Amino acid sequence: MSLVDLMTMAKPNLESREKILAKLRGRELVNCFQCIKCTSGCTALKLLELKPHEIIKLVNLGFVDELPSSDIIWTCVTCLKCVQRCPQKASPYHVIMALRNLAVEREAKVPEGYLKAVSQILETGLAETAQKVVTGEMETVDRVCLKLPKIISPKEGFQAVFMKTMEEK
Amino acid sequence: MKTAVFWGCRILTGQFAYEMSVREVLPKLGIKLVDLRESVCCGDPIKSVNDFTANYLGARILALANLTGLDNLLVPCNRCHFTISEAKNVISTSAKTGQKIKDLLKEEDLEYNPNIKIWHTIDLLHDLVGLARIKKAVAKPLKGLKVATHIGCQIIRYSDLGRVDDAENPRKLDELIEALGAETIDYAEKLDCCGSALMYSHPDSAFSLAGSKLKAVQNLAVDGLVVSCPDCQLMFDVKQKDAGTTVGAKLNVPVVYYTQLLGLALGIDERKLGLRLNQSPVDQIMTKILV
Repeated sequence: MSLVDLMTMAKPNLESREKILAKLRGRELVNCFQCIKCTSGCTALKLLELKPHEIIKLVNLGFVDELPSSDIIWTCVTCLKCVQRCPQKASPYHVIMALRNLAVEREAKVPEGYLKAVSQILETGLAETAQKVVTGEMETVDRVCLKLPKIISPKEGFQAVFMKTMEEK
Repeated sequence: MKTAVFWGCRILTGQFAYEMSVREVLPKLGIKLVDLRESVCCGDPIKSVNDFTANYLGARILALANLTGLDNLLVPCNRCHFTISEAKNVISTSAKTGQKIKDLLKEEDLEYNPNIKIWHTIDLLHDLVGLARIKKAVAKPLKGLKVATHIGCQIIRYSDLGRVDDAENPRKLDELIEALGAETIDYAEKLDCCGSALMYSHPDSAFSLAGSKLKAVQNLAVDGLVVSCPDCQLMFDVKQKDAGTTVGAKLNVPVVYYTQLLGLALGIDERKLGLRLNQSPVDQIMTKILV
């Protein structure tokens, strides 16, 4: 492909494009005909100017390298409206998730919360830490005083297998 | 009937009222709950980090459910419901990934079972228990109560996956509320998202989404907002003040779980339903019901 972005002189990276396509497991990205149904219904468009149809176009053309380091891929609210409404089964949501995975792989800027979730799961099995809740009567309560069953951590083999899955690209 | 139940992180670590009310109401309607061996993440936040790991964790929940010997799994959280459903879909449509996941599960002495049906609180009550049975069990009809509903995003989309209700016109939650004698209202913002997924990356935008929806609900002059997802409840109930500050509105919207409302209609004591754990002004609903 002899395509060049004349604004930035960026060239398509077909290898990265293939990586994204592999993650989509047969979703027909190339069938996107830019009807913009995804962007017109996008929850994050109004607030954060996410334009899913542009992301699809960029990935289709192979301009993938800037996207993983861009903040825009972290603005998706995962409401799944674009997956539902896409007439071509191109699914911008899944493309954005694949780009996020690529960002992690390339050690680009990833919101801390996600990485914290990983270490939290490794440590306790859960992505969140147990909290105490203050009631309307200003009483502080937790699971024990509410007589809810104890949280049981995963068995020993879990961590090793979890780490193994993280090596899959 | 017995069903396995997987609660997920958000409910177990902070949204206790949902767990309490589900544990109270379901046995009264003939559903016995069996907890899984352990409490682990469904994989939802990991979808953004590593898709394979997320699917492994989702499949692992079904493998844990398999240990109970039951064919049904209740997943009361919308996000967990989506993540586990998508993992199931990946295993059935992608033989290579599916096999890798099954092999790794074996290393943990777990076995994947494709025949386990995944339920959410909404379709379990609507389709399995049924509106007729719920209507019959109501001891205290919620006459005169008018509420708005928020079904959430991830249990209604995307339909190819097989979801709990229609993607563009979900009615089940409304019908479940009507079965209790209360009224629901249709409104333009009904399908708007609560914004919780942005809490990791753009909290201000998350509050802005929650605040805009709450503002719209407040303008409807209804008695409250009914939800069925711990993430939505977190945004609309716990974070209501932050949401109000962000959109510049004084918000005063009572937000309850459907199972709390159902519990009240069944005549269960409000303390057992965790109503005092809600941070929004739910006493407004209580007063209305008790009159």
